[in-house]
Formats: sequence, structure tokens, C-alpha cells
Amino acid sequence: MKFRRAADLSNEAASLRQALFLATGGGITIAGTWLLADQFRSTGITPVEYALLTLFVVLFGQIAFGFSIALWGFVVRLLGEPFQIMETLENGECESPGTTAVVMPVYNEDPARIFRALENMLVSLRETGRSETFDFFILSDSNQPDNWIDEECAWASLCSRLRAYGRVFYRKRRVSLHGKSGNIADFCRRWGRRYRYLVILDADSVMTGDTLVRLSRAMDANPRVGLIQTAPRIVRGKSFFQRLIQFSTHSLGPVFSAGANFWHLSAANYWGHNAIIRLQPFMEHCVLPELPGRESAARHILSHDTVEAALMHQAGYQVWFAYDEPGSYEEGPPNLTESLKRDRRWAQGNLQHFWFLLAPRTPFANRIHMFFGLMAYLSAPLLVLFVALSAVDFYGKQQYAIFSEQIGGIADSWWTSLYLLALTIVLLFASKVFGLLHTLPRARHFGGVVALVASSAIEALCSVLMAPILLWFYSKFVVLTILGLRVQWKTQNRDDSAIHLGQALREYGVLPVLAIVLGSCAWYWTPALTLWLSPILLGWLLAVPFVMLTSSERAGEWLRRRRLLLIPEELETPEVLKHLDEPPPELARPESLSNIPHYGILLAMLAPYANSVHTALLRRSRARTQHKEEYLEALSTRLLSGGPDALDRREMMALLWNADALAALHRRLWRAREDELHPWWRYAMHHYYEAYSPRR
Amino acid sequence: MGEMTALDDWNIACLRLEDYLRAHRVRNREHLVRLTLSLLDQAHSLQTMAPNRAPLDVTMELAMTRTEEWFSRLADDTASPDAQLAARGRAVWFASGLHREWPSAFLDPHPPAELLAAVRSASLQAGPSLEFTSMARAAVDYGPMEDLAHETWQQFSWGHVLRAFVIWVIIFFAAYGAWLAFFPR
Repeated sequence: MKFRRAADLSNEAASLRQALFLATGGGITIAGTWLLADQFRSTGITPVEYALLTLFVVLFGQIAFGFSIALWGFVVRLLGEPFQIMETLENGECESPGTTAVVMPVYNEDPARIFRALENMLVSLRETGRSETFDFFILSDSNQPDNWIDEECAWASLCSRLRAYGRVFYRKRRVSLHGKSGNIADFCRRWGRRYRYLVILDADSVMTGDTLVRLSRAMDANPRVGLIQTAPRIVRGKSFFQRLIQFSTHSLGPVFSAGANFWHLSAANYWGHNAIIRLQPFMEHCVLPELPGRESAARHILSHDTVEAALMHQAGYQVWFAYDEPGSYEEGPPNLTESLKRDRRWAQGNLQHFWFLLAPRTPFANRIHMFFGLMAYLSAPLLVLFVALSAVDFYGKQQYAIFSEQIGGIADSWWTSLYLLALTIVLLFASKVFGLLHTLPRARHFGGVVALVASSAIEALCSVLMAPILLWFYSKFVVLTILGLRVQWKTQNRDDSAIHLGQALREYGVLPVLAIVLGSCAWYWTPALTLWLSPILLGWLLAVPFVMLTSSERAGEWLRRRRLLLIPEELETPEVLKHLDEPPPELARPESLSNIPHYGILLAMLAPYANSVHTALLRRSRARTQHKEEYLEALSTRLLSGGPDALDRREMMALLWNADALAALHRRLWRAREDELHPWWRYAMHHYYEAYSPRR
Repeated sequence: MGEMTALDDWNIACLRLEDYLRAHRVRNREHLVRLTLSLLDQAHSLQTMAPNRAPLDVTMELAMTRTEEWFSRLADDTASPDAQLAARGRAVWFASGLHREWPSAFLDPHPPAELLAAVRSASLQAGPSLEFTSMARAAVDYGPMEDLAHETWQQFSWGHVLRAFVIWVIIFFAAYGAWLAFFPR
């Protein structure tokens, strides 16, 4: 039967697929565990080996289920997938298309990039001729004055340039409660009832107008669908690391996405962005609950998306994965450090999902999503424990073998170990082979067959080198999260992706030391174990140069020139991704002002344009107390006589949030004699006059 | 000396006024000179009535009051001028590039009807009109683990842990001492 509506999906079909997926992963796990148990049986299973077997089931199961997803994804790619949510669009036009709010929560990201992306999406949407049912919102939580002022000016000018007043809105939240999920919830409380659908973007997301329209139509066609998640393609990478990740998602992603859709069908997960949501059930059923916990901070759910998908599904709505929908893009972190910072947040969030795993009403498929998400990080310390116990077991057996006459039995168990190792390697690399086989027919979009195969080899090699580094950091994240401690990272310059030697040594220097110490110990006590540990030791030993090399944009460019790690979007850039690096005209800062610190403050206080846009957007304070006015007056005086550094960020924000104080400050500044002002003002004003109001 | 100081003060006021007008993107030289002279003339008259005030202060206050009134009227001539209205009018003036379309209209007491229409049709809004919804948190039953955790948290205190630790350390050393006492090597 042709899949025409999401409601056509029968429970039997969904159950059969879940059974196939679980049987494949479970069967391989049992086979692997049997092999290990068989190895242990040769000398009698010790308590340590029972512990090893238990850990093995969990760790090997993860590999086996990963393989199961890739396998079924590959099968689906070969045979075709009848159940794709976007296929239901053939139903024709909806008589009353729903209104859609496209929201982009932002937090101090580059305003130029944000508004270029918004402009491209709006232009692309208009080209479809269906833009009248879409409104765009920038939901700002930016707490840096420069970003805030730039965002406002860019928004006002964009509205004017594209004649988008009343179509593109900018909302700045006064209290940034609960991060992104709180930002979205605030939108829903204010304007949620005005719209039927909500498209959520990240600050680095871009979607084509056609995709936005198709998603909205798919929701129109399927009233029981609560959420459709797209598979955003990672694009625009410059550094080696970014290009590596984007190649990986382009070559391996399609197989994994198809495999994921194969087993969960209408019980997909939500990734927090590049997705469309039906607002009414979202507002009714998906308001994040509090977790059990003693402190209020611990009760807040960090990784909200997975929980929201579970709540939507629990409320009886389907959640689909439009994995083949083109026109949905995002960008990746520039280097491993930035990627790990993101992982640290995700690790904290995913570990919280433990509570939902045990909640009686969590749907089965969502339990699996949560379990996989949790295991993505928890498996790292478990693997460390497994390796440590293996070393103990190995050492014991070595001693035993020296004094035992049953050396033949030990030798037999070595063969079993090798079978197991071979099986593990096959499972780990099969997904990469599936990905390559699937991509080969489209090799010309990846630079040709030779370039594609070479790129896949580079990707595989890098993933082998990167895995031990992730193992160390993920273990650290999990342990520190469980202990309730925070992982400290020094903020780096985001304009420059390159990690230099000092930073690399500071952040990754412990790994080569650890490799040398552990390797020496292993070599001294159990030389044979060194070989087994060598993949981990090698990754740790090379961590510093690996991280430095992959953070380099020059290395990324070098590879691109040789057609390595190419992705289709690099060969032919879609219109919606063009000019994203060029600041909109309103944000193009004159060269003479490019090095002035606190540029946003200069604009907000002095420039008639920025000052008026800013104050026009602020609500007039109703509660005007003498104490408050005196406080703001004192801040203004301090700002003028002491420069921006005389105020801390809280005081500066207090001024920037008060329209009356800002208007008064603007007047004072223009009326002030130069000798009344701090040298910073004199310097900045001089350059401002020269840049914006040059005298002839 | 006094006359020189006054001249200097008026020069400073004149330069600042020009900067202010240029900051409003008054690029038309003739219009700029005309506005500057007109405002300076009025400032001179005002300063004569209040000689204690500095020319810069008088001139800039006058210029800013005039612009605020003008932008207020541009945004809405039915309401009395205020800073918020003026901010709206001025923001649209810049954002919509009206200063380029009407280079000589700035501070014109009778702005063209098209200019008024352009300013009033542009809405600088943070969002459409509000339609508040009360959203209640989803009720989630976390099962027996929640009760277990709550019980643990209620009973748990580091003081208890420390006390238990100290007691067990004492017991350990007491037992070890007894072992050494009864089974010496």
C-alpha cells in the first residue's frame, strides 16, 4: 500500500521493524559475549571476568546496535523506504495552510552571520510564492552589549531593505532563564497561539524556503504528526576538523539516518533545531517538567529536545524524521576543543535522561533514544573500567600461564580473542564501508571515486586517532558530572579556529604523558597487553599534534585544493548558503572603527540611529522611583567620566535596559565638552565622526 | 580675550552641531549649511537671554529638541511629541534609508506626504500583538526511583558520612591493634 498519510502506518509494521533492529543488535551482542565467555571458560571464570562480561555486554551492545542501524540503513538505501513522511505531500494542497513562526534563538553569536542567513532564508522563501504564512523571529538572549546593539541595527535595516516589517521580529529577553528551552518557552507564552507551527533554528542553521514550505505542508497533511525533524547537513567548514566532520556526516550520515528511520519510524527523536513542531500540543504537553533534585539548578533539564520528543510521543502525536529532505543546513565546531565544550553540555544533559529511562510512562522507542544518548558518554568510563579490569585479568593469566602446564588452553583462548577482535573491527568499520558503498554512485559530487575513497580513508584514520581522546574527555565529563563538579575551559578566540601549541599542551598535554606512563607499565608487567592497548596509547601519544593539525584552516584548505574531504555543497554552493561570510551593509564596520573596544556601547550612546532603534524597542519603565533614577544617573556620570570600563557588565546592562536613561545619556554626550569626557569617549567619538560624518 | 573665548566656544558648538547633523546623514551640503546657520542663529538668541550657559550646551539642546519634535511629528502628528515617538520616527528614518530618498527633508517643518506615509507604515515592533498563554509543566511520574532518591536526599548528610567514616576508621585500627596484640609475628 502506498504510504499517503502518517496515520497509515500500522503498529504491526512499526513493531516488526523494531523487532528486526533489536534482534540484529541483540543477536550480535549475544554472539560476541559468547565468544568472550568461551575464552574465559578455558581457565574457569573468575569474579573479575564476571565483571568483565557484564561490562562487555553493555559496551559491545553499543557497537552491535550501531552496526544494526547502519546495516538496516544500507538495506533501506538499496531497497527503498516506503515509510517517509515527506512522501505524504503527494496528497495535494491543504485548503487552510497553517501559519508558521520560524524562530532563531541567539546568544552572542556573530550578528552578521545570523542576519545574512535570515536574509537568505527570507529571499528563498519569497521565491516559493508562499511566504505570506511565515513570520521570522530572532529571539535574543545575547548579554554582550556589542552583540545586542548590532543585532537590533541589523534587524531594523533588514526589515527596511527587504520590506519585511511585520514579518521579521526581534525580541530581546530581559532575563535569560533556562537558556534556549526557556527562550522558546517564552516565545510560546507570548505568541504561540498565533501560529500553528514552529520551525526552530540554531544560530548557525539555514533552511531553504522550499524546505520550510514542504515541512509546513507535511504538517498540514498529517494532523497527528507533532514534530518533523530534518537531518541538517553540516556545511561551510574551513578547518580540517570541520571539513572532516562535514565529510563524515555527508558520507556516513545518509546510511545512519535511513537506519534510524527504519527502526523508529513515527517515534523519532528531536535534535532541538532544524525541525518543525505543531505548537498546540507542544504548548499543552511538552512544557519541560522538573527533575527530581535538591537544588533548583539540578532540577532543570539541559538536553530538552529528547525529552520534548518523548512528551510529544507520549501525548499521542507522531514524531518523524525527514532524513532525506534537502535544504536543511548547519555548521560544525571549528576544532576539537569547541566540539568537546559542546559535548560537555550534552554529556550533562544526556546523563539527566536517566530519570526518564525509569519513568513508567516513557514510550519504549524514546527509552531507546535516551539509552543510546546516555551510553554515548557513559560508555567511555565503562570502557576505561573494562580496560583496567582486563589488565588485571591479563596479568593474572600471564602469571598463571607461566606456572601452569595448561599453556595449550591459554593459547586456544588467544584465537578466540582474535575472532572477537576481528568481529569488533568488522562491526566498527562496516558502517564506514556501507557509507562508502552508498556514496560511490554519487562520487562525482565528492570529487571523484579516487578522492572519495581517499577521503574515506582519511576520515577512518582520524576517527581512530580521535576516539581515544574522546574516551579520556567523555570519562572526565561523566565522572565530574556525577560528582556535581564543573569542567573548566578557558574561553578561546572564536574568530580563529587554530589551536596553538600552548593551548594544545594545556588542554591535551596530559594524554601523551598518560600514554607513556601506561605504556611503560603495561610493557613492564604484561608486554602482550601493550599491543592490545596500542590503539588507545597511539591516540593519546599523538593527541597534541592531531588537535593542532585538525584545528588548522590552512590544512583544511590544503585538503580542499586536493579535492579531499569534499562535499557536494563545496562544489556547487546552494544559493541559500552564499554570502554568509559577508556582513550585511548595515553591519559593515568602517575600518577606522574596527579596533575600538566597546563599539556597541559607543553606538548605543552616541549614534542617533542605534540609540533610537534601541530605545524604540525598549518598554518604558512604569515604576520610576527616585532611587532608581539616582542610581542610573550615577552610572551615566561614571560612564562618561570613567569610560566603559568604569562599569561592570551588570551596571552596563542596567543602563542599556532603561530607555529614559539612555535617551538622557545620548543628550548629555552630545552636549558635553570634550574635557568632561573620559579619553576613550574622545577617541571613539573622533573616529565615529570621521567614519560616519566626514567633513569635506 | 573674552571675545576670543566666546568665539572659540561658538566654534566648538558649530562643529558639534555639524557633526550631529551629519550623524543624521544630512549629506546635502546646502541643506546642512542652512540648518546649521538657522540653529546657530536661534542658539545665539537663546544664549543672549541666558548668558551663563555655554554656547555648546545651548546649541545642542536646541538641536536635539528640534530633531525630537520633528521625528515625533513624523511618526505621529496627532500625539504630543515625546522621546519614544521620536525614537521610532528616527529609527525608521535611518533604517528605511529615507535620508537618502529625501536628502533635503530633514527638519523640514512641512515634510512631504510620501515621507510621512513611509515612516508611519513601517512598524518597529519586537513582535506581533501579544496573545499570552499559560503553560503548565508536564506532569511526569519518575517511578520508584524518584521516591528512593528523595528518601536518600532527605536522610543524607555529609555529617553522617563523616561520622560513619571516623567510626569505621577507629574500628579498623582497633581491630588491627587487637590482631597485632593477640597474633604477634
